[in-house]
Amino acid sequence: MLSFIFRRLGLLVPTFFGITLLTFGLIRMIPGDPVEVMVGERSLDPQMHAEAMHRLGLDKPLYAQYLDYIGNLAHGNLGESLVTKTSVWTEFKTLFPATLELALAAMLFAAVFGLLAGVVAAIKRGSIFDHGVMGISLTGFSMPIFWWGLILIMFFSVKLGWTPVSGRLDLAFDIAPRTGFMLVDTWLAEAADPSANAGAFKDAVMHLILPAIVLGTIPLAVIARMTRSSMLEVLREDYVRTARAKGLSPARVIFIHTLRNALIPVLTVIGLQVGTLMGGAVLTETIFSWPGIGKWLIDAIGRRDYPVVQNGILIVATLVIVTNFIVDILYGVANPRIRHAK
Amino acid sequence: MTNAKTTTAASAVEDQALTYPSPFKEFWQGFAHNKGAVAGLLFMTIVTLCAILAPLVAPHNPIEQFREHLLQPPVWLDGGSASFLLGTDELGRDILSRLIYGARLSLFIGLCSVVMALLPGVILGLLAAFFPKSLGSVIMRLMDIMMALPSLLLAVAIMAILGPGLLNAMIAIATVSLPAYVRLTRASAMTELNRDYVTASRVAGAGLWRQMFITVLPNCMAPLIVHATMSFSSAILEIAALGFLGLGVQPPTPEWGTMLASARDYIERAWWVVSLPGLTILLSVLAINLMGDGLRDALDPKLKRAA
Repeated sequence: MLSFIFRRLGLLVPTFFGITLLTFGLIRMIPGDPVEVMVGERSLDPQMHAEAMHRLGLDKPLYAQYLDYIGNLAHGNLGESLVTKTSVWTEFKTLFPATLELALAAMLFAAVFGLLAGVVAAIKRGSIFDHGVMGISLTGFSMPIFWWGLILIMFFSVKLGWTPVSGRLDLAFDIAPRTGFMLVDTWLAEAADPSANAGAFKDAVMHLILPAIVLGTIPLAVIARMTRSSMLEVLREDYVRTARAKGLSPARVIFIHTLRNALIPVLTVIGLQVGTLMGGAVLTETIFSWPGIGKWLIDAIGRRDYPVVQNGILIVATLVIVTNFIVDILYGVANPRIRHAK
Repeated sequence: MTNAKTTTAASAVEDQALTYPSPFKEFWQGFAHNKGAVAGLLFMTIVTLCAILAPLVAPHNPIEQFREHLLQPPVWLDGGSASFLLGTDELGRDILSRLIYGARLSLFIGLCSVVMALLPGVILGLLAAFFPKSLGSVIMRLMDIMMALPSLLLAVAIMAILGPGLLNAMIAIATVSLPAYVRLTRASAMTELNRDYVTASRVAGAGLWRQMFITVLPNCMAPLIVHATMSFSSAILEIAALGFLGLGVQPPTPEWGTMLASARDYIERAWWVVSLPGLTILLSVLAINLMGDGLRDALDPKLKRAA
């Protein structure tokens, strides 16, 4: 097991350095040098320009600049935003819980309904329900989620007035961020001071529902399809026939003998959706004005705040590769055939 | 005599039934078996025709502003008029015409970005398969790095560097979809490389390029075609997403995603401005995905049985 982990870890390291090369190159591919980018439209006399280049270490050869960059990263120095002058890492830390909360809610929604729909579709293969699930999941898979968000807002927020249009919490509530997770924070605040914060938790939930549905739509479609085909495969196995022949109840055959084995590929798919979630978060957060990482990066691009773009992308990419690594390891734990494959 | 004639005729019919069907006929039988695929093909044919014939089909110029007809609803609602079948947007531009011209743009960018990813993807994939030790591992590590970034985020990052615009959007989308082509080509070429016919061609003295492109590549085409279809649909989604974020094609050019970017402000007053462009995107992407399923059934019988 340990050698398996180390083998995978060995693949992780070059990937990480590749990504640092990418983000390092990113800022240097922008027309004009970084100093010009920082001053923007204002003109700069050559003397000051040269000084700034020297101060930032930009007059060194490229490999030395890259080593500096890696050195800074190793010291946990991710630079600071050109606009707010706060460090990129601090900004990331304050905004990340919002994205994580949204992503977890979306994943929960997608996993619960996707598994349910996939299992029932597989059991009732060929029925109207099966065709319906497959049709809906293909539609979900083809969904432009930014439009889907607008449609849901139009229907549930504007027309029916059930859910708020944007943000994480009504402005009337003043909740001190403790964990950064709005559901937890409002829960704690309501428990601490029920009179002042009554209804805060419910308000946070209502704010979360639509964005979570929007972000969870594509994973939902993928999970439903994957569960169905994986269930169908396992249902054909000899041990399932044996279980049936032994006279076990249909529910036991489905849930204990089939679903447990069908879950392995599904879990991997769920893990691999992290990338989709991070990409989708960019769109979902933009539509719902959700103050998370996705909106942060898009705003930074709009403001040409390159240190944020550069290292924000580095953090997100690292997050994705680390999650994929963990999924890989868990897959190896669940399935020895993967672990011992060369 | 007559008897003999009928026998020959009958045996001719029999012969025909026994001969192997032409590849195209066989393909079409597999494809037409899938009703959804045929529906998707029909829809996409209409969209493509509209796109090609846009100047003839579209009732108005897509960027002409009819100032007296701002946010006019579609024809079947109160206040709608037959001259603006699907209504007008906030600047009084005809939505139907914008959608038709938008199809041009979306299909064109989609097609270009597929080609721009397919060609280098196939070449890199074949190189990686033919030289697995040296070049292959370098190429595959590079692709792993690109795969580590969420595709939309990578596209957004590329657009941030290159700046918004049509060509840049194509480059961004092609770059994002490149790794999948490389991996797919490499995987199918690796299986083909172990086959006897490849060894035979090598023994017969075929050069490297001939082996790559004439011996191996044609046998890897089926999964590539299916994947190209699927990536065409995701390219359309990505262009629209970039347009929506304001990074893609710039207004006033009619592009489906860009049309939605400004629609958010009219969500309370004019549902048609919000719903119609998105519905067009959804239906087109769905149609292409359905076609992709049909192509897979027709080209890759093994996959069909596995599903």
